[in-house]
Amino acid sequence: MTRIKFRFARHAPLKHISHLDMMRLFQRALRRSGLPLVYSEGYNPHLRFNLALPLPVNVTASEEFGEVYLSETVSPDQFVSTLRAQLPESLDLKSASSEDYKAPSLPSQVVAALYRATLGREENCRAGSSQFRAALDRLMAREEILVQKTKKKKKQAYVNVRPYIIEAYFKESGNESPLELYMLLQAGSSGGVSPFFVIEQLEKELNCDCNNKAFWELHRESLYTDKDQFLQPLSEGM
Amino acid sequence: MKVIDHKIERLLWQVQKPARYTGNEWNAWRKDHAGIKVKMVLAFPDLYEVGMSNQGLKILYESVNRRPEMLMERAFAPAADMEELMRAHNLPLFALESGKPLAEFDLVGFSLQYELSFTNVLNMLDLAGISLHASERGESEPLVVGGGPCAFNPEPLAPFFDFFLLGESEECLPELLADLDAFKQTAPDRKELLAKLSEKEGVYVPALYRPVYKEKKLKALERVDPGAPGVIKKRLVKDLDSAPYPAAPVIPYLQTIHDRAVVELFRGCGRGCRFCQAGYIFRPVRRRSREEIVKTAREQIALTGYEELSLASLSSTDYTRLDELIDELDRALAGEQVKCNLPSLRLDSYSIKLADRLHRGKRSNLTFAPEAATERLRRVIKKNISEEEIFTALGDAVDAGWQGFKLYFMIGLPTESDEDVAAIAELCHRLKQYFRRKAGRRISISVSVSTFVPKAHTPFQWEPQLPLPEVTRRQEILQQGFKKMPGVDLSWHDAETSFLEAVFARGDRRLAAVLEWAFKLGCRFDGWTEHFSMSRWRQAFREADIEPEDYAQRRFEYDDLLPWSHLDCGVDKEVFIKEHRKAFNLDADFEGEFR
Ligand code: SF4
Repeated sequence: MTRIKFRFARHAPLKHISHLDMMRLFQRALRRSGLPLVYSEGYNPHLRFNLALPLPVNVTASEEFGEVYLSETVSPDQFVSTLRAQLPESLDLKSASSEDYKAPSLPSQVVAALYRATLGREENCRAGSSQFRAALDRLMAREEILVQKTKKKKKQAYVNVRPYIIEAYFKESGNESPLELYMLLQAGSSGGVSPFFVIEQLEKELNCDCNNKAFWELHRESLYTDKDQFLQPLSEGM
Repeated sequence: MKVIDHKIERLLWQVQKPARYTGNEWNAWRKDHAGIKVKMVLAFPDLYEVGMSNQGLKILYESVNRRPEMLMERAFAPAADMEELMRAHNLPLFALESGKPLAEFDLVGFSLQYELSFTNVLNMLDLAGISLHASERGESEPLVVGGGPCAFNPEPLAPFFDFFLLGESEECLPELLADLDAFKQTAPDRKELLAKLSEKEGVYVPALYRPVYKEKKLKALERVDPGAPGVIKKRLVKDLDSAPYPAAPVIPYLQTIHDRAVVELFRGCGRGCRFCQAGYIFRPVRRRSREEIVKTAREQIALTGYEELSLASLSSTDYTRLDELIDELDRALAGEQVKCNLPSLRLDSYSIKLADRLHRGKRSNLTFAPEAATERLRRVIKKNISEEEIFTALGDAVDAGWQGFKLYFMIGLPTESDEDVAAIAELCHRLKQYFRRKAGRRISISVSVSTFVPKAHTPFQWEPQLPLPEVTRRQEILQQGFKKMPGVDLSWHDAETSFLEAVFARGDRRLAAVLEWAFKLGCRFDGWTEHFSMSRWRQAFREADIEPEDYAQRRFEYDDLLPWSHLDCGVDKEVFIKEHRKAFNLDADFEGEFR
């Protein structure tokens, strides 16, 4: 049995689909591809396939990852060309590598993700970039940013997600280019925060009096794993 | 690849399930409009998820698009959030494949599956900027055509459509589109064009007929054009094996209601249940050959990657030598990890055996439709299964490890008494006890009860629907019966939506005004409980000065002119009369028909 890790980008035409729909899309593409897939045992066998981290609806991405188990050896190049033929153009399969099949699963490796939010200017908020920057400073200076989580038994619990915002900054840009917010956020099994939530909080801090709702285009730049307490891109070694 | 129109794109981030509006799915056709002679949009008056679960749509999409000189794109009813944005931004209804507005096509075809989607038809025309009334459409506007089960009584929709296509369209629609292209060269205008089209079998041009009413009754249907056919015959596929069928159906990005490969075993149903319109309008029974089924199943699985295959028909277990077919499918799909399922099971031991063979995985629920809980009433509706058969079949299923059952019943059937209604709960009670003795484990039973709606082209077409208060009273009897029965899950259809369905199912052209009012008052998605508003509908009826009860509760006489009597579904009136009589005179030849 071998395990293949693959890297792909998701372009705009496909950004509207949910994580579950992405899973189905990949599973069906894999099933069409004729690759030697592996299924779990038991009553309801499922394909041994994972995506590293759910990609939210309305977010494009340049460096996403998935993994799949195969019953026979297939070279990474052959894997890429075979699966590519079954994927829509907006899912751009870029490369693959063979992985140790005993290593922890891909989803469990992810600890952080880097997002870029670009402010769509045309119809939106009139606040200037200095106001946005100041708002971000105020947000990052907060010790607590609480998210309400409804637990089972209807008890409400609050989680402080401030520590999950590892970094957030506006890229230095000229007056002409659109404002770009970069957010490095904790993600994965040990908890995380949604980039949409961070933007929402930022807009609250901005407290702009024009009632236009800003339109942000969201893009996920890369995923990170933990390597001796340092963030290392998942693409390392591919 | 199509680039999603910028204007559409800017709306999508604000709506639920944006993938409803993006198209570009795997296996979708992408045809360059340049050089194509006839362009059609198939408009489905419900949400994307519902429309993309409809097999008819997929068949037509294939049948037209496999011809290089024509194309068919798809459009669905936008959900309320999208509609609001489209109206606010003046964005016309667009086709998924090209993003082009519907008004730019030659033909807009509506799939008419269900009476309660009629207001969506009007709304979609309006959103597309196409004139609502066929009589007001200009030369450059598309022709609006309707097909599907409701085209067998399309009278309430008549003023909004240029023509209807009766019966199965997968063979005749491409022919018709080719004709249309030819006629366009010679016909000077729309009117002539439609007159020419009306000569084709299966084409019904409502503007060529004028109904005459007297004292709330339809007295005559006059021909405006003496050349118009007196009776319109339905179109029919003779040989399923050679008819178009998709090997590579579109795979939605979004999970739909039936998101799986589907191979049709046969068309039509020979059972002849007296309430069932599908059982009559899809006659005669035509089967697909085993070879063709296996071949199509293989192709579909290879070209879609679907993990589930449904062997569809109106009554699956009536397919002769189904067990051999299942063997062959098993061999053909070995190693593909495909789950097969067999919907529309008959309640007998043979069906249970087949279901067992198909489901190797976890055995959750089996679904059956006994429709009535007493043998007497089942005879009236010709759903001929005995109580003993029910117990044996369900008992076998329990032995085979099934966890539970979903049972469909109807109330308000002709001749139904309070005892028949109460019998639904009693039957479930007996089943529960039987399962407890037999299985010693919990077997879940869920019961879903709808209200009888008399439909055109059935032996019960002359029968009234029960008055609303009476339906409510019987629903209470039903609930009472289940009160003392924990563990049985009862649900019932809203009586008011069934009432409305009955109004339109046997309606005539006077109802068009009601539909238009309802649409203007904001009625949409009337089949969805969360959108349905009876008070808005009541207002629409008032505005149009029509008593809905006159329609739903009307009893027709045999010699009354029925609003759909010029539309021939292939079954003679005498057959319906005979069946109708038999229903109420049971003892006469009951034995003869009980197999
Ligand atoms: S109810 Fe089912 S079995 Fe009866 S006629 Fe209709 S499709 Fe056939």
